[in-house]
Formats: sequence, structure tokens, C-alpha cells
Amino acid sequence: MKEQVVCKTTDIDPGEMKATNFGKQNVLVCRTLDGEFYAFLNQCTHQGAPLDKGIMCGATIDTSKPGEYHYRRNGEIIRCPWHGREFDIKNEGRMLANPEKKLPNYKVRVEDEDVIVYK
Amino acid sequence: MAKNQIRLVDTDIHERVQYKDILEYLDEPFKHYIENCHWIQEKHMPYTQPAVAGVDRADAILPDGRPAGSDLGFMQEQLLDEIGHEYGILTSALDPSPSSMHGWYEMAIALASAYNNWQIKEWLEKDDRLYGSVHIAAQDPKAAVKEIERVGSHPKMVQVLLPIDDIMWGDPFYHPIFEAAEKHHLMIGMHHNEPPIYYGKWPRYFIEWHTLIPTAHIKQITNMVFNGVFDKFPNLGLMMIEGGFTWVPHIMWKMDQQYRDLRHEVPWLKRKPSDIFKKQIRVTTQPAEELTKQEFMSLIEQMGTDEILCFSTDYPHWDYDSPTRALPNMDPELKQKIFADNAKAFYPKLP
Ligand code: FES
Repeated sequence: MKEQVVCKTTDIDPGEMKATNFGKQNVLVCRTLDGEFYAFLNQCTHQGAPLDKGIMCGATIDTSKPGEYHYRRNGEIIRCPWHGREFDIKNEGRMLANPEKKLPNYKVRVEDEDVIVYK
Repeated sequence: MAKNQIRLVDTDIHERVQYKDILEYLDEPFKHYIENCHWIQEKHMPYTQPAVAGVDRADAILPDGRPAGSDLGFMQEQLLDEIGHEYGILTSALDPSPSSMHGWYEMAIALASAYNNWQIKEWLEKDDRLYGSVHIAAQDPKAAVKEIERVGSHPKMVQVLLPIDDIMWGDPFYHPIFEAAEKHHLMIGMHHNEPPIYYGKWPRYFIEWHTLIPTAHIKQITNMVFNGVFDKFPNLGLMMIEGGFTWVPHIMWKMDQQYRDLRHEVPWLKRKPSDIFKKQIRVTTQPAEELTKQEFMSLIEQMGTDEILCFSTDYPHWDYDSPTRALPNMDPELKQKIFADNAKAFYPKLP
């Protein structure tokens, strides 16, 4: 099994993300507001934009009635810097508008201060 | 990113001016009105939030915070060098858009001249790959013709830019503009500004507006074809920018069918509309819907020619199309046409 220390826990504050290298792959490590780490391929599934140039934010959830907005899940959604597609960090990087599509993801664990990405 | 084997001719790149950059090119008293009296062009769009950085690609904002598209060096690095462009056609941002201004034509005329001078000096003469669009204040056709006469012969100006907004450009009132363009071997480039696609108003949501932009392109084409622009100016070409392309077969069929029934009303039309389209109208690809190769090839077949589509990125806007990802795979000969040769054949001044 391939694994690699990609950064320190202190390199990424909760609510932030960072592009790192995992072997030859450019991997996006996201830290949600609860302190958990997640890792995805740093390339949008749509047209390949670098996701680290986008933002981590919340989303207007889809149980609204017409004319209603409920903004939730703050810090748990990646929005692509180009066309703004939304990917759910805590649900395997699935796209909100089409959950069948998801960002390729990696496993992550923390040991001491090290953030370790593995396949 | 690997370089494309085909060197791209990108038919829609948005350079952006900031008012402070244009001041030195602007005559008085207009400079005074901007510098001292805080004039800005009126704005209409009620929703500027579609993507992460508004209407721009978030990674195209300059590191120092200046707006996307406002710095040649950054554009070279992020777009022209990265992709390996052969040529790119500049189509400006919306502000200023002299032909979209309501009223105060004198300011519009002054802005158009200043913008052209700025574009030539700061972009066209600084990068061999970039070609430009002549800005005019079309509401005053006499002044517009004067501006085309003034800068239209610049070797790197390839088209006259008209906004798709709330004016139908086929009206004979604007024909002097087409005459002047044709005389200088300039094509007409039409790009949507903020067209009121919703019966003269704005729809409730951006997603509705953005979905319906091609209807504004369809309206302009219908208007120009039936007003006889292409018969009157047989060497004039029209590039329809940023409306996508899946609507093209529909409007060709629709106009042809109507022409067979209603020709008597427009006896100046000498060719059927789809023939006019094939010969004189070109369409940029962005924003491309996600099509399979089969769907894409079927559309080309329905158009009856593979010479209409010209690839465009729309850099640096949020709905940018990647040259390597936006369209399905296609045969090398077709790709060569769509990514380069169709645009080269269309613009007489492009080498
Ligand atoms: S490239 Fe990410 S949304 Fe299009």
C-alpha cells in the first residue's frame, strides 16, 4: 500500500484546503470545520480545473421549496474555481447536482502531527 | 499541460480595462467626468454571483487583486503560453461597452476611441498572437464609421464588435457600419452584453438568463438575414460569439422553411437563409454543452458543413471552455478546422 506524509496538521486550519503532492499526483487536502481531513484529486471532473483555486463553503440545500433558501453545511462543500460545480467533501466528493459523479478520493489518517494520504 | 498539436485560434478572449488605465487615452472633458466626477457606465445585471469569483474564473484574478483579464503578462502565462495559442481574438469585457450605452453618445464615442487606442498600444502591439476588435458607438452610425475609418486599417484589427443587447443591428439605419467594415476587410463580431432575453426584461434567476442567451443570438441572425445585410454586403461575415452552437441547425431549418412561404416580403434575399449562414456566419463554440462524439457529429451533419464552428475559450470568465476538455474527441481534420482553420478562413486579416 502506498502512503505518504503530505503535510502537517498545522499547515491547514479547519475550513481550509491545500494542494499537496502524493507521488506524481496533485492531491487536494481539505480540513472541515470539525477538524477532519479529506483528500481528493486536485482536478475537477468536469474540465480539469485546479480545485485548490476554488473555495470551501456551504451550500443551499436541495430540500427547499421554490423561493426558499437554506444555506447549510458550511465548510463541507468544495466549489470549483471555473464553473462552480459543488462537491460534497463528507460524501466521497460527490457532485451535488449529480451525485453519480464524484471526485477521485484518497484515504487520509493523522499520526501525531502528520497528515498521511494513502490509497 | 501537454501542448496541443493543433495550435489554437481562440475566437473569444476578454481583456479588461480599468477606468484608471484608460484615462490617458481619453479626451477632455470625458477624462474629467471619469476622473473627477466618478462617471461609470450604468449596469443592469441583477445577479453577478454565478460562480466562485462572480463572473470570472477564480484562478484568473491577479495575485495582487486586480480583476481577471487586466494584465497581459498574466494572461500570457495562464492562457496563451500554457495552451500554446497561435492566435487569439480580443473581445473586451462589458465595461465599457460604448454601443450598449443608453444616452450620452458623446461619451460613448470618446470611450470607443480611447479603448481602441488602449487596446492597440497595450495588447495588440505587445503580443504577436493577439488580434483585436474595433469598438464603436453604433448608436451614432456616422461617428461609428469615422472610428472604423480611423483604426480599421490597423493590421491587427480583424472585426468590428457589436453587443447583443437591446438593439437589432440589421436595421438599415446601421448599414453604414457594415459598409465601412466591409471596406476595411473587417468582419462583424457579435457578443452578448446583457441582452434582455425575457420579453425585454430580466428573468428571476441567472440560470434562466444564461440558458436563454442563444435566443438573443438567434434573434440577431434572423434580423440581419431578413433585413438583407448579407446580400447587400456579400463580403461581410458575422461571428456569433459566446452563445454555444447547438441551436444552429434549428435556426437554419426554421429560416429556410419560412423563406419558402414568405419570400415575397423580403424579395431582396437572393439565397436561402441556410446558404447565407453557411457562407457568411460563423459561431464560436463556448459555452459548449457536454455532448458525446456521436451527438456532436450529428449536429455538424445537421449544419450541412463543418466550417461554421470556431473554438473559443472565453478566458477569463467563469464559463471558460478548456481546449482539451470542452468538446468530444474528433478526427484530426475536423479538429484542425474547428480549432484553427475555420477562423483563419473567416477573418481575412488573420494570417
Ligand atoms: S472545471 Fe470544474 S466545474 Fe467545470
